[in-house]
Amino acid sequence: MTSFQFDIGGRARNAGRFIGRVRDELLKALSERKKDGKLSQQELATKLEVHRSLINRQLSGEANLTLRSLADLAWAMDMEITFELKKPVVEAGQNQPVMTSTIGHGQIKYIDGGRRSRACQTLAVSPMASAEATAKSLR
Amino acid sequence: MSTIEDLVAAGAISRIEVEMTGREQAQRLLYGTPGFIEWLRKVINGEEPEGRVGQATAAEQIDQLFHAYLSGAPLIHVRQFRYIRAEENAVWELKTPDARIFGWFMKRDCFVCVFGDWADKVKDHDLYRGYRIAIRRLRRELGVDHTLCVQGVNPGDVLSV
Repeated sequence: MTSFQFDIGGRARNAGRFIGRVRDELLKALSERKKDGKLSQQELATKLEVHRSLINRQLSGEANLTLRSLADLAWAMDMEITFELKKPVVEAGQNQPVMTSTIGHGQIKYIDGGRRSRACQTLAVSPMASAEATAKSLR
Repeated sequence: MSTIEDLVAAGAISRIEVEMTGREQAQRLLYGTPGFIEWLRKVINGEEPEGRVGQATAAEQIDQLFHAYLSGAPLIHVRQFRYIRAEENAVWELKTPDARIFGWFMKRDCFVCVFGDWADKVKDHDLYRGYRIAIRRLRRELGVDHTLCVQGVNPGDVLSV
């Protein structure tokens, strides 16, 4: 075997990478604030009136981040949150997003230079279902 | 002298890939030993640590880590919460909230995963030394300890981005 595709399925991939992206944004913001000399983790905890260990666990990914805790952290770091859901843009020549899990179904094939085949269109998750999945992952 | 292609051809390591989206392209290379790939298969099939702490499943955490590494994203924003850490013996550790992956860099941006394990088990049983020794032994067996092994301990020695 010369290569191995670590494929956990589209839904799980979407959830995991979204959670990771949120955490990375928080860490990036904290790093910026620390460089500015404007905020330490202790000051963050004091501002939010919580124990520092909770902040540590949230930032390390060891504690669940609710929408409220995310908003609180952003507020405490004096950062704005931007959030947007949009349809994926598919252009010729770019990687094709996998719309459903491929576990047990084999790889979905795309044809027509970027346009999805009829079979794939049938399997495709609607934007609303995708949004619901994202919302569920936030709970 | 073995090359990376020789190691792949001999089945000593396999390239590991994850789904990239949109206009993303792999900026780094990732390989795994057969034993590590076997561990990944178990993770895909739902193996989880007892008392998982992360919000994402173990498989999701590892996919996110691999994706961040391969897409060239920064792996250290804040030192305390870094995704990557240097061990002794030119061994590096990749971290998620629940998983630990040990291996070495053959070249800059070219990592070989050798052991995957759960974070609590690694910490509770202090498995760091054992993994370090086993990885060094493997490099010697493969004949790459002096040729395909980055010795530096700073992230900039092993990651270009």
